[in-house]
Amino acid sequence: MKTKIQELRTQALAEIQSAGDAKAIDELNIRFLGRKGLVNDLLKGMAKIPADEKPLVGSLANELKKDLQDAFAKATESFDSGNGTADAIDVTLPGRPGKVGGLHPLTTINLEICDIFTRLGFDIAQGPEVELDYYNFEALNFPKDHPARDMQDTFFVSDNVVLRTHTSPMQVRTMEKQAPPVRVIAPGKVYRCDSDITHTPMFAQVEGLVVDKGISFADLKGVLTTLIHQIFDNKTPLRFRPSFFPFTEPSAEVDIGCVMCKGKGCRVCSQTGWLEILGSGMVHPKVFEFVGYDTSQISGFAFGMGVERIAMLKYGIDDIRKYYENDVRFLNQF
Amino acid sequence: MLVSLNWLQQYVTVEAEPRDIAHALTMAGLEVEGVHDRFAHLETVVVGEIVSAEPVKGSDHLQVCKVDAGQQTFQVVCGAPNARAGLKAPLALQGTELPDGAIIAKGKLMGVVSEGMLCSEKELELGVASGGIMELDPALPTGQNLAMALNLSDTIFELGITPNRSDCLSMIGVARELSAIYGVEMRLPDISLPEDGEPVQDITSVDILDPDHCPRYAARVIKGIKIGPSPAWLAQSLLAVGVRPISNIVDVTNYVMMETGQPLHAFDFDLLEEGRIVVRLAEKGEKFITLDSRDNELEPDMLMICDGKKAVALAGVMGGLNSEINDNTTNVLIESAHFSPMSVRKTAKRLGYHTEASHRFERGADHEGVLFAAQRAAQLMLQTAGGVCAKGAVDAHPVTVEKAEITLSASRTNVILGTDISYDRIVKYLESVNMEVETLDQDLMMVRPPVYRVDVSRPEDLMEEVARLFGYDNIPTTWPAAAMEIHRADPVRDFGLKLRTALCGQGFREAINYSFVAADTPDRLQLSEKDKRRQTLPILNPLTEDQAVMRTSLLPGLFASVAVNVNYQNKDLALFEIGKTFIAEKGQELPTETESLCLVLSGANISQSWHGKAVRTDFYDLKGCCETLLAGLHIVDAAYARLSDDTAPYLTKGQCAEILSREKRVGVLGKVRPEVLKKFDIKQDVFVAEIDVTSLLEAVPEKITYEAPPRFPATDRDITIISDKAVEADAVLAHIRKMNHEWVRSLEVVAVYEGDPVPEGKKSLSFRITYRSDTTTLQDKEVNEVHEGIGKEVMSTFAAA
Ligand SMILES: [Zn+2]
Repeated sequence: MKTKIQELRTQALAEIQSAGDAKAIDELNIRFLGRKGLVNDLLKGMAKIPADEKPLVGSLANELKKDLQDAFAKATESFDSGNGTADAIDVTLPGRPGKVGGLHPLTTINLEICDIFTRLGFDIAQGPEVELDYYNFEALNFPKDHPARDMQDTFFVSDNVVLRTHTSPMQVRTMEKQAPPVRVIAPGKVYRCDSDITHTPMFAQVEGLVVDKGISFADLKGVLTTLIHQIFDNKTPLRFRPSFFPFTEPSAEVDIGCVMCKGKGCRVCSQTGWLEILGSGMVHPKVFEFVGYDTSQISGFAFGMGVERIAMLKYGIDDIRKYYENDVRFLNQF
Repeated sequence: MLVSLNWLQQYVTVEAEPRDIAHALTMAGLEVEGVHDRFAHLETVVVGEIVSAEPVKGSDHLQVCKVDAGQQTFQVVCGAPNARAGLKAPLALQGTELPDGAIIAKGKLMGVVSEGMLCSEKELELGVASGGIMELDPALPTGQNLAMALNLSDTIFELGITPNRSDCLSMIGVARELSAIYGVEMRLPDISLPEDGEPVQDITSVDILDPDHCPRYAARVIKGIKIGPSPAWLAQSLLAVGVRPISNIVDVTNYVMMETGQPLHAFDFDLLEEGRIVVRLAEKGEKFITLDSRDNELEPDMLMICDGKKAVALAGVMGGLNSEINDNTTNVLIESAHFSPMSVRKTAKRLGYHTEASHRFERGADHEGVLFAAQRAAQLMLQTAGGVCAKGAVDAHPVTVEKAEITLSASRTNVILGTDISYDRIVKYLESVNMEVETLDQDLMMVRPPVYRVDVSRPEDLMEEVARLFGYDNIPTTWPAAAMEIHRADPVRDFGLKLRTALCGQGFREAINYSFVAADTPDRLQLSEKDKRRQTLPILNPLTEDQAVMRTSLLPGLFASVAVNVNYQNKDLALFEIGKTFIAEKGQELPTETESLCLVLSGANISQSWHGKAVRTDFYDLKGCCETLLAGLHIVDAAYARLSDDTAPYLTKGQCAEILSREKRVGVLGKVRPEVLKKFDIKQDVFVAEIDVTSLLEAVPEKITYEAPPRFPATDRDITIISDKAVEADAVLAHIRKMNHEWVRSLEVVAVYEGDPVPEGKKSLSFRITYRSDTTTLQDKEVNEVHEGIGKEVMSTFAAA
């Protein structure tokens, strides 16, 4: 009899231990301590034991009953309070996998640039990628048979139609539609027939144009300095130097202090400490004449930048061709 | 363009470090792309003294020399006939990289160890002599670095001259810039020369028949010259700026072009028939062999230099083989002319030439520099090749050039630049670059730029001169003052952004592919003959066959992305691309550009983990993505129907559908045919959805109208039928919907089952109907009645016989 009591105790405690939730505890409680439970069944057997053993067995049985009541109470409480360990699982196992998507890094940078300019009050315009020679060259003061056209290796569709070599046609298209003041940026894909480790035949540019009364070269410096400081950081040095674009005069190439070596000189900046990042300038009066703006009244500046280059500097991408391969081991990093 | 600092110093004295000069040039608009030590390759070349020279056994010319290099003696095998004991010669030590790219390493020649190389002038790019090793002055200290011993030092600037600054395509041009930047005097070379011959007019003449293309042509004649190699200084100068020396006469023409920017040509005067020059346009069908031995077919608008009988040069581009300077030349005619940029550019482009001469003429040479260059060339030819120069120059000059006159306002200049530069300072800047300035009033000035500044014709051009000489760095940094204004945002762009965000949230990665594809992609997609996507727009000059036409679909690009990834073992893919497709239209100059969206799923949709096995992607995964996307856009009326026409022949017949909104197609989706995938090198299943962004945008409800949640509870009833396998779930749902019972709120397919105990060719379909009233809580009994009615109707219509 004593052994049986001991066995029942062990069995009950083990089952309490392995019970998964409060409901299971309740069921166990009924199975062991219920009116028709195992403990009562056992006590019913008391009748058959010798009288001299009865007091001892009786007290053992009562002890069992009390202990099990305590154990059930404790287990119930621990489940209710959430402190139980009986329902513990291996939390280090991985969860059911969800899917993570993401934007192409060029889209991310593009949006970042657009965001800076919309905060400044610029509009965003988009235009055709297959473009008339007129918008891509002529109205931007690249006359036919002018060496300036050699600056941009052009894909031709016909004598009169090209894949746009820059987003600058949007300057003309915007001004044709809108009287000054103009504050617009135009992001988009552009094409040049050139392909090597630093050039892809298609790439992304963002064009900008500001036209109003009294717009100056100093304003151009201000806006582009803000842009660079927003994209990189407030301490990035800028350098404006004279250059040539047929549709701006004066023209300026903008270099930033190399973000890789902080200007000390490295492979990325060809040891110069500077990186060419933007082309810009005051809108050429000929361009204004093409769209019928009065050059004695207004002035403006324009700029254009390559998105790949900025993404390259921000993320440390060293091969421009990676952008258009769509290897997910590349894409998954952004 | 390469520029030698030593050469520049002939015209201007600048006391500054080469690095500082480079910076100053860059900041003035002449971008220095590189700064090189001209003699860097001589770092490990020393004055060697040959101690002994013994013939190598078994060789008819090699000698093994012991060469004293000061600290050490090296054994060198040398093939030069003049190698002999006692001679001092340049010794390139191991590790030296010669200008031709060869690297000196320890090696064996005919089994004899050689530990360096004794070099010729040519091998070290110190001259043209290549017949033997360079013989050095015996007084030079043995072992000393060669550059130091010969006092050689020069810095080479690599300049990127922008197309507008043709005036800087010369040493004098760059020196002029330095003179303005540093405020130092310019020294032009003295070009006086003895003219002991007969008057040039008695020897030759120049007739310009086409003054539009050739406004000026000057000629000089020198008789009795002797062709030979150039003297060291001349060869050196040319080598420093990357020009290969050829012979004294040719080298002088090149030298003067590099010096002044004026391209010159020297003819063998005796090969000019009738001894005269005629400038005329080519005749139709005329042929001409240039001195590179190419036979060119000419067109009637190409300008030719001719003698009395035949063409002798392609004007401004290249001379002819028939009148080239050769070893027997004794009499020379020097051409120094001015050709119209347009004419030279057209001719050069069409014949595929880009020469030093055409480069300069295309950009605009100095109309007034013609005589100076001719005289300079004559002077140097006399010095280097002897002979007697005819008196004077022929100067055919049918068109004269007036200096431009530009009125500049000081105040407008300051408005445009955002500066406060004084009138006097502006004048000073302009005069420093040789502009004539005449004061008109307190604000205005009349400016006449020198003729060689072909880029200056408007006030803005002068403003740039002022700005760059003032220094872009010194211009303040300000903000534009602008009135606030707002315009409507571009809805298509905003929508594209919304789609991108949604798809990223659904686990898709954005891909960007090139807009051009191979010309045969419509065939590979098996598009039907009348399919619009066959109207590709070809590129006339594609880089590769794979980029020959503009894409008419996003599929080929994404297929390429899938193939690349599978190749890299990235087999489970969820990609999307949003971009333009281009359809060429007849009678339309520009193609129609359409914003398109394409989704691609491939590989496993759920990858294997401890939670369970991998699950392959199927049609319903992609359809679910489309449904989720559209639901997120509040497009609640979308329908999916079996695609029955031939708009997507690249999809398998049984697994493709169109996406409709209000009966209008917004896209298609389905499984790609394996035979199509094969043509794109893909060997695993691919599911695609193609959506027209504009149509999708039209399907988005303009506004959202709130509806209060229902006040009365809903209750569900299921219905199961056994139907023919061919019955589509949507037909049953549509039928129930058509019955139009007011309590029926939503319909759902809850189970589809085929197999035992359902008979062969049949399937079991279970639907859940949700009932709800707007006015009362429905009782079980009344719902059951309605449900039974619907059940009967469905059974009688769809249940299998
Ligand atoms: Zn760097």
